[in-house]
Amino acid sequence: MSLPLPSPRDEAWRWSDLSGLPALAEARPRGGVIDTSGLWLGCGGPRLLFVDGVLDEALSEPGPLGAGAVEVDSDHPLGRLARGAGWTLDLGKGHSPDATIEIVHVATGGASHVPARITLASEAQASIVETFVGDGWANRLTQVDLGDGARLMHAARLRQASGFTSLRIEGQVGTGASLVSTILAAGGAGTRIDAAVKLAAPGAFAEVGGALLARGGQRHDAAVTLRHEAPEGMSRQTWRAVADDHATASLAARVEVARHAQQTDGEQSLRGLLLRRTATVNLKPELEIFADDVKCAHGATVGELDRNALFYLASRGLPPLEAQALLTRAFVADALGRIGEAAVREAFEADADAWLGANP
Amino acid sequence: MTTTVDTGVKNREALDAANKKYEWGFSTELETEFAPKGLSEATVRFISAKKEEPEWMLEWRLKAYRRWLEMESPDWAKLDIAPIDYQDAFYYAAPKAKPTLASLDELDPEIRRTYEKLGIPIEEQKVLAGVEGAGLPARKIAVDAVFDSVSVATTFRAELERAGVIFRSISEAVREFPDLVRKWLGKVVPAHDNYFAALNAAVFSDGTFVYVPEGVRCPMELSTYFRINAANTGQFERTLIVADKGAYVSYLEGCTAPQRDENQLHAAVVELVALDDAEIKYSTVQNWYPGDEQGLGGIYNFVTKRALCQGARSKVSWTQVETGSAVTWKYPSCVLNGEDSVGEFYSVAVTNNRQQADTGTKMIHNGRGSRSTIVSKGISAGRSDNTYRGLVRVGPNAENVRNFTQCDSLLLGDQCGAHTVPYIEVRNPTATIEHEATTSKISDDQLFYAQQRGLDRESAVALIVNGFAKEVLQQLPMEFAVEAQKLLGISLEGSVG
Repeated sequence: MSLPLPSPRDEAWRWSDLSGLPALAEARPRGGVIDTSGLWLGCGGPRLLFVDGVLDEALSEPGPLGAGAVEVDSDHPLGRLARGAGWTLDLGKGHSPDATIEIVHVATGGASHVPARITLASEAQASIVETFVGDGWANRLTQVDLGDGARLMHAARLRQASGFTSLRIEGQVGTGASLVSTILAAGGAGTRIDAAVKLAAPGAFAEVGGALLARGGQRHDAAVTLRHEAPEGMSRQTWRAVADDHATASLAARVEVARHAQQTDGEQSLRGLLLRRTATVNLKPELEIFADDVKCAHGATVGELDRNALFYLASRGLPPLEAQALLTRAFVADALGRIGEAAVREAFEADADAWLGANP
Repeated sequence: MTTTVDTGVKNREALDAANKKYEWGFSTELETEFAPKGLSEATVRFISAKKEEPEWMLEWRLKAYRRWLEMESPDWAKLDIAPIDYQDAFYYAAPKAKPTLASLDELDPEIRRTYEKLGIPIEEQKVLAGVEGAGLPARKIAVDAVFDSVSVATTFRAELERAGVIFRSISEAVREFPDLVRKWLGKVVPAHDNYFAALNAAVFSDGTFVYVPEGVRCPMELSTYFRINAANTGQFERTLIVADKGAYVSYLEGCTAPQRDENQLHAAVVELVALDDAEIKYSTVQNWYPGDEQGLGGIYNFVTKRALCQGARSKVSWTQVETGSAVTWKYPSCVLNGEDSVGEFYSVAVTNNRQQADTGTKMIHNGRGSRSTIVSKGISAGRSDNTYRGLVRVGPNAENVRNFTQCDSLLLGDQCGAHTVPYIEVRNPTATIEHEATTSKISDDQLFYAQQRGLDRESAVALIVNGFAKEVLQQLPMEFAVEAQKLLGISLEGSVG
């Protein structure tokens, strides 16, 4: 069966490299015993473990989470591949789990497609951390529906050693509700992150951001659209891309403001850092505005580490590599600082540090 | 205010009164020679034969035409365009006037009247007509006027030639300087570059050729007026400007068209070449007929403009004021190959009623130390859409590149759209790339203040819009800056209040 994939000739995929996916789709997972120690953050909340897209019930503690067939509908070229068994979170009015929900996805080669649906009724709250490890192709579709005043903190750390991770997030944010999603790509796999979030009711807030760290021949690619459909919405996109060796990190962030979405406040900050002359950073901060009383601004920069800062640190006795790592960490920290919970944020920062520390 | 205008009206005052919104909406009744309607190899051969072109030129055109047949119209721009029937247009229309003019009397009086309406000063008209010894304007501007498909007159030729500058219609240049034209034609924008460039290469009818030799500072501003006059006619002009080492030239381009109900096609190609230390300043005031308030008629403006900054320290500066056309698809670009070469793009794009503009620039940095500046001001009103689309690319060998981009959008009313689509692709860590963009509207406070000082609402809007666009307007040569300021005001009439 041939896989219908978009090509780089398609404008929204011009920086992507999906050429490895057909082979991964054909491959079989190796399976075997999974060592999950060190994968959990120890938040003490509900947890799910997916191995090659299949729920490992023995090692999961679902709590309010549901597992099984998930009703999702997406026309996204990768997202639509995720159908069948997955997970759901359905919280009633004002409900909130006691602790952060953890979901770990382990892949042992091959391809896995898992759909998920998160529905929070009004004033409900949840915090979810997803961790991706192993190799192979992990393809995920997550649909989010937030009722009035609901709050969802979502964070994903992509730590697969090889293969490909593709995330598709589709969200709808209600009146005064808030969706914050932070994604860190700090593994050895190729990545495609797609998000389309609608700020569907007045006063909605949405933030999608993160950091893409790429080395070797890796390609990380994020394409995010935040669409304001109602007045007084606020959106933020803070992304940092770091590219070393022959790697490419690409960010396409878009804010759309519909005709009636007056008093929208949208901000984009995209910054790229090149650690080597053979690396590539691509940025596309896009605005599409149909309302006249809006505040939308974007800033984008690409460059190398500030030589004055490097010199200053050297003059204080730091070895060059350490100085470089310190400044790179500071560069990435902007995007990870949006994670509210200290334990989660620290885990993400540790991942980023591990990536930077592995720098030869 | 009435907007329906009999396009045959000849009296300028009556026309102005009837049609304040598009002052240049007159058409001129001229005896015109057309190529057979439609597009085929025969059309291409017809045009080439009319131009008495050498064999290589015809071959080049036919090759482009065959490539065009295999290409598809680009659909990535944010433009909503009805399918274009390329067989329903004339690809060549020439006023049947005497090709060379010995005195003012010999210039077709209708063409002269057109120049008057276009606002070309009377002194320049005399020079256009070749009347030597006429009182020349204090500040000289050499003019090449392209009427429908052909260049009707080029002025100041002798004076330019004394300086060594070649300023010709491109069909004359093909005949008189074939080696020079052949060396550069299609080198910046290859015939198969894109759909509209291929179409242009196949059927281009005229345009301007400029060559400024080594070390020469062109003694005057060069200018071309483009005018589409005949109905159902596409205009496909091609401009080629080569500035040799250390040369400097400033070039102005103005465009108008009569009001017609059907859409007319304009697909131009502009190629600029700057060698070591050369500088080209290219300014455009584009005021093609934008269509009426319902979006009926207007020019489809598909233009490929590109500059090759081949030499070290070469510089190309694009300045454009885009107020006309129903649809604009235009990305004046710089390929910065030379070390320390400089590219600049200053743009004001105004859209009103149902106009759609998708415009911006590409800065391709291949040379070490190359720099570029992009300042884009988009103003949307009515039910129009205004898109900035740009690319800044830094190649792996381009050390120490700098780019600064600023795109500001101003929205007048809540039925229009402003879009920003910047692409940034960087492959060298020593690059410093900065991009900023804002979107705003005219605040009630600003309007109130200006009105309280005695300005009426429209003048207040014009004042604020001119302030918004000031950074770009001040890049224009003086004559154009005044015209552009007036144009901004006229284009936005009736959009507020």
